[in-house]
Amino acid sequence: MSQETGTKKAFSLVRNLLGARDSFLEDFARVTHAVTATNAWQQANAALAKPVLLFSAILKQKREAAMSDLLAKLNMPSREDVLTLSQRLTRIEMVLDDLGAGVDQLRRVAERPQRPAAREASTREPRPSTVLAALTPEPQAPAQHSKEA
Amino acid sequence: MTMATVETSPGLMDRLSTMASNLVKVTTTKAPIGQTPRQTIWTLNKATLYRYTPVVPAEKRHPVPLLLVFALMNKSSILDLRPGNSFVEYMLSKGYDLYLLDWGTPGPEDSQLGLGDYALEYLPRAIRKLKSVSGSETFSLLGWCIGAMLSTVYASLRPTEGLKNLILLTAPLDFTEKEKIPLATMASEAYFDVDRVLQANGNMPAGLIDYGAKMLKPVENFIGGYTRLFDNLDNTRVVDSWHAMNTWVSDAIPLAGAAFRQFIVDFYRGNKLMQGTLAVRGERVDLGQLRAGVLNVIGEDDHITPPCQSENLLGKLGSTDKQLLRVPGGHIGIMAGSAAAKGTWPKIEAWLSPRSG
Repeated sequence: MSQETGTKKAFSLVRNLLGARDSFLEDFARVTHAVTATNAWQQANAALAKPVLLFSAILKQKREAAMSDLLAKLNMPSREDVLTLSQRLTRIEMVLDDLGAGVDQLRRVAERPQRPAAREASTREPRPSTVLAALTPEPQAPAQHSKEA
Repeated sequence: MTMATVETSPGLMDRLSTMASNLVKVTTTKAPIGQTPRQTIWTLNKATLYRYTPVVPAEKRHPVPLLLVFALMNKSSILDLRPGNSFVEYMLSKGYDLYLLDWGTPGPEDSQLGLGDYALEYLPRAIRKLKSVSGSETFSLLGWCIGAMLSTVYASLRPTEGLKNLILLTAPLDFTEKEKIPLATMASEAYFDVDRVLQANGNMPAGLIDYGAKMLKPVENFIGGYTRLFDNLDNTRVVDSWHAMNTWVSDAIPLAGAAFRQFIVDFYRGNKLMQGTLAVRGERVDLGQLRAGVLNVIGEDDHITPPCQSENLLGKLGSTDKQLLRVPGGHIGIMAGSAAAKGTWPKIEAWLSPRSG
């Protein structure tokens, strides 16, 4: 019986400690929330951030200028060149995407069941060299699969 | 007395061993998240469109596909956190043909990408591919956070391109009541120099976004999560759940500079969307043009996007079929919390199911 009471007490102690911790954290959360919601806190943050950002911007500018000089001396493309190239590649990717979508659409049109008259006409005069014939589904090259699985 | 009790506790060593292994796991590894099988069907720059492998036979599937669009500054794996707690898995089991547009991680070369690029270039192209693959001319769109904002802009500007249903989750659209939006104070002109931040960094760094969001509730975010872990260290199920969420939270991504600037200047400061003055690539965004059926889901305890940021939205929309759904939970908890599977997901599915036929 006494052991049972002791066990209960031990567990209550842990519970009490956890409860005290939780209530402390709740109070702490309330206080920090009240503090961080004030204009003074925001002002302090802004005041701290301003010189850091200014310094970072200047540092970035200097670093990029130094790197550009070095790359120019080494006759290598600059950071701007690489960024521009990347943007151009994205634009090319968009053009290819449009072309791919156009091909998809043509393929769908070609795959639609033909009307009887059209079917008869195609039976009479097979024209394998038409645009639609050229766009009928064919096994795609692995290179294309890497873009569109 | 206490010591004697501790020494004789059955399974104590097992418990200590579990605690130790759990502690090692969460401190040294990343949880496997986003595990549902999927195929890449389209890519553009960093963006990728995935199609999840259907688990329901084609004849039992909903004919209208569903496209998921998540925010720009976190990874979309939150929608597919882990088996048993995955919205993707849930919707697949309900017979949806499911697609996910992942924006990817912008690099320095993407700092000029604006909201217009995302909403009117990437999103429509992904939708075009979705239509081509699914064979359906109509589709449903689910946008979460900034994903909801981009979806709303798209839906308003392209109302005739087959969008049938639009589900908005915790959408930051209305900035009228700035005093109720903690992030609006943080982003105000008086305290935050957006141009200087972008000048120094190009894109908005992931760490700064994360810091800003966490500072809204510093104790809960910096300490609370760890006390919860400590209290449940012997419970592997809770630890796995915590580990998955922590892996996702600590894997934030930067936000493209131009998009971030528009978000701060046009939305947080100017409230242009609700005022009807927002122009994207020269086109004025008129919410009255939005015709799709709309389900607007609000997290009642959301402190990042408080309810006031979208609860008055429906009155502005041109849709005839629109509904507001309030669910208990925070910004992420409403979709990824332990109660989401029995709360938010079935409600979304119940709304979407009759509209996906």
